[in-house]
Amino acid sequence: MTELWEGIARAFVLILSLDREVMEITGRSLTISMTSCGVAVLICLPLSSVIHFNRFPGKRYLISLIQTSFSLPTVAIGLFVFVIFSRAGPLGILGLMFTPSIMVIGQAILITPVMLGLTISALSGGDIAISETARALGATKFQTMVITIREVRYAVITAVVMGFGRAISEVGLSLIVGGNIKGYTRTITTAISLETSRGDIELSMALGIILTMIAFLINLVLNRIQQK
Amino acid sequence: MKTDGRKWLIRLLTGIFVILLFPAGTGGMQETGEGSSGEKLLKPVMRIRVATTTSLYDTGLWGYLEPMFEENYGVELDVLYAGTGIALEYGRRGDVDVITVHSKSRELEFVERGYGVERVPFAYNYFVIAGPGDDPAGIKGKTAEEAFRALATGGNGLFVSRGDDSGTHGKEKAIWKSAGLPEIANSKKNSDTAGWLVEAGRGMGPTLLMADEKKAYTLCDIGTFLSYKGKISLVPLVQKGEILLNVYSAIAVSPEKYPRVKHDMARNLIEFLTSPRIQELIGNYGTGQYGEPLFTPCAGTEHVDQRQPRVKTP
Amino acid sequence: MIETSDLEQRFDGHQVLKKVDLKIEKGKVFGLIGPTGAGKTTLLRILDLLDRPVAGRIYFDGEDVLLSERRRFEIRRRMSFVQQKPVVFSMSVFDNVACGLRWRHDKKENIDRKVRDTLKRVGLSGLGLRDARTLSGGEVQRVAVARALVTEPELLLLDEPTANLDPVSIYRIETTLLQVVGEGKTTVLLATHGMSQVQRLADTIGVLMKGELLQVGSPAEVFCSPVSGEVAGFVGIGNILSGEIAAKDGDLAIVEVNGNSIQVVTEVPVGKKIDLVIGPENITFALTRDPSSARNVFRGRITVMTELGTLVRIKVDCGFPLFGVLTVKSARELGFEIGKSIFANFKATAVHIIQRS
Repeated sequence: MTELWEGIARAFVLILSLDREVMEITGRSLTISMTSCGVAVLICLPLSSVIHFNRFPGKRYLISLIQTSFSLPTVAIGLFVFVIFSRAGPLGILGLMFTPSIMVIGQAILITPVMLGLTISALSGGDIAISETARALGATKFQTMVITIREVRYAVITAVVMGFGRAISEVGLSLIVGGNIKGYTRTITTAISLETSRGDIELSMALGIILTMIAFLINLVLNRIQQK
Repeated sequence: MKTDGRKWLIRLLTGIFVILLFPAGTGGMQETGEGSSGEKLLKPVMRIRVATTTSLYDTGLWGYLEPMFEENYGVELDVLYAGTGIALEYGRRGDVDVITVHSKSRELEFVERGYGVERVPFAYNYFVIAGPGDDPAGIKGKTAEEAFRALATGGNGLFVSRGDDSGTHGKEKAIWKSAGLPEIANSKKNSDTAGWLVEAGRGMGPTLLMADEKKAYTLCDIGTFLSYKGKISLVPLVQKGEILLNVYSAIAVSPEKYPRVKHDMARNLIEFLTSPRIQELIGNYGTGQYGEPLFTPCAGTEHVDQRQPRVKTP
Repeated sequence: MIETSDLEQRFDGHQVLKKVDLKIEKGKVFGLIGPTGAGKTTLLRILDLLDRPVAGRIYFDGEDVLLSERRRFEIRRRMSFVQQKPVVFSMSVFDNVACGLRWRHDKKENIDRKVRDTLKRVGLSGLGLRDARTLSGGEVQRVAVARALVTEPELLLLDEPTANLDPVSIYRIETTLLQVVGEGKTTVLLATHGMSQVQRLADTIGVLMKGELLQVGSPAEVFCSPVSGEVAGFVGIGNILSGEIAAKDGDLAIVEVNGNSIQVVTEVPVGKKIDLVIGPENITFALTRDPSSARNVFRGRITVMTELGTLVRIKVDCGFPLFGVLTVKSARELGFEIGKSIFANFKATAVHIIQRS
């Protein structure tokens, strides 16, 4: 037990002293996940509008498929991305394996179903009169999309935050396509997985505490939003 | 209205494109020799990737050599903690520029199949069979083969195998075969092994920790073993025999198969590892901390020396 | 200005609009009336180019607008539509009204000025910064009208703009509409239930029933000369009597209705079965049988009295029911009350004949 408390104590020391490695890894996690979140937002917001507002055969099945993909295992997606982007694979010419970029791409793929599904849900919950009114007032398709999303903005923000939460806490994908390279592609989650198994508990704990705090903050933000 | 939407579509795609590829850090086309690895650079710096067997990493050797190489050549060295099997796969896929592994037969096959340029051994040490201090299976002082036979039949001890297709795992299998128990080497789930053989499926350091946790026996290279001395209570029990020789080689991935590998820098890395200065440093690595070196340099020669290892038993 | 030809619309297999031919003149007010479900909203949506009809053509200033999606959008921007139960966006009143202008990329100074002026027009000046969701029903309606007016549309479409509103709000909105119409720059299409409203505001009236445009004409034509029993039943307040032409003397005919004889002027020959329509405003009431030029005088008892603001509507049982209106003052002076026996007079020429099909 003492080892545990000592470990926690030393972890806090690492955090409070702004230990270089801890800060670097944390910063990278945040950057990669926020970027992938941003990419996913750019894809999901327009796409969700297109899906929501248009009628087409198989629409119901598509939405079902999206919802099923919410919890696709991260390692499965990691493997998929690896096979495609490896130099031996179809997109190998881009040379993106083991870079932060491929992690961003992978995470974006990972969280798109969640964000897409929840945003479509949000739009469905909105009043159809909003988009009708906008059109009647002369809004273009794009302007209509913007204002419709704006009307359900709190639900959409929830969708985005959930996507971010999933991105920053995943490990399987980051490990497979990132390679956990020290100083380059090591994130909080991959560092914890490596360092714990190699016995460096302090660093793992420090990172674990930080990740927990981030998750906690996310939840806090979500609660505030949902109260509106 | 159509152009309105199209305008935004183009902006969107550009945004995604820029975000994804700009920080790719796949490296500039030229070598820009500004600054050391720690500095923030405005010009994209070349990144060269080496997939390494875990023992070279867990001993801290790569951590030691990396900054030297980076400073010397002005590049960023990305070290992937892989394990021989995975490293070979990365090499076959062209996702790395160099591999450093320790499985001679597979290395030769790798080069023969045209994936690698040349097998360049640069250091060696020995494997040991480590186990709990009280040695319930009574293998101390035996040969590797005898020890393995004792573990398989005796029922007195647990053995933690790497189980990850690594060089060390390959060595385990070689010993099983040599001990006359090839079925153990080949099987996945075998009633023969159930109960006393556990597959760790992880790197050397983590496997050691697991074996320590379980008070079990395991095969380990002396380098990693020594570097984990303070963290585990296992002791080396079997250290004799040529079968326990452990040679590390570096192989550059073939630019014929994968024209985009950074072959020139890969050659530099191999030259670096085999250069006299670095060879000397490798030979001294660990002496300060562990009382003895963890590796013996051997660039240019296959190991011939049959010296007994100088491990101090506690 | 806007013309349709053979317009048809279908939803889920139901024929919602049938062969609608419509002509709306520039700068005038067109009142579209009809019962609920007649298809007024559907027609308005098609005219606003929000929905596509399954058949038919629409011409805007002579141009066939159904030909291209792009054209539809451009023309839609020259129109404004106030919907039946308008929704406001979750932003301030000012921002709500400014939306249309912002979407058209108007300059900020223009937007500020136009929005302020329009808010003043509809009497919402002080509420610019209020969250639009906190407004009352009447205020929301006025925001919707302001939103529609601020873009200076060439055609203004309104779908029951004063339904379910308090009288003050109704007054405000009608005044605004009259102002707009008075400026002559906007053409207005108003769909409404309110008979008096449409009589007050419209230059031309179209009667839409069960998806068919049954009659188009001036208010007088529609209300006094409804073209069919259906129309009459909808626009009138019920003076439709069925009878048969019993005798004729030139154009003067005697119609048998429930054993009573009503004198009318018509060309229809003897023996034909017809409907008689008498506008309530054409009936005068007296306490005694006085000589007058009215050829039809009937005695009856007042059975129902309904106050409609400054007017009173009474139902008199003369052997057949007659509805009439008079001012509250007159009713009081004459001492009208339920059960009282009075005389109802109307001229033969005031009776409108509809041949039964």
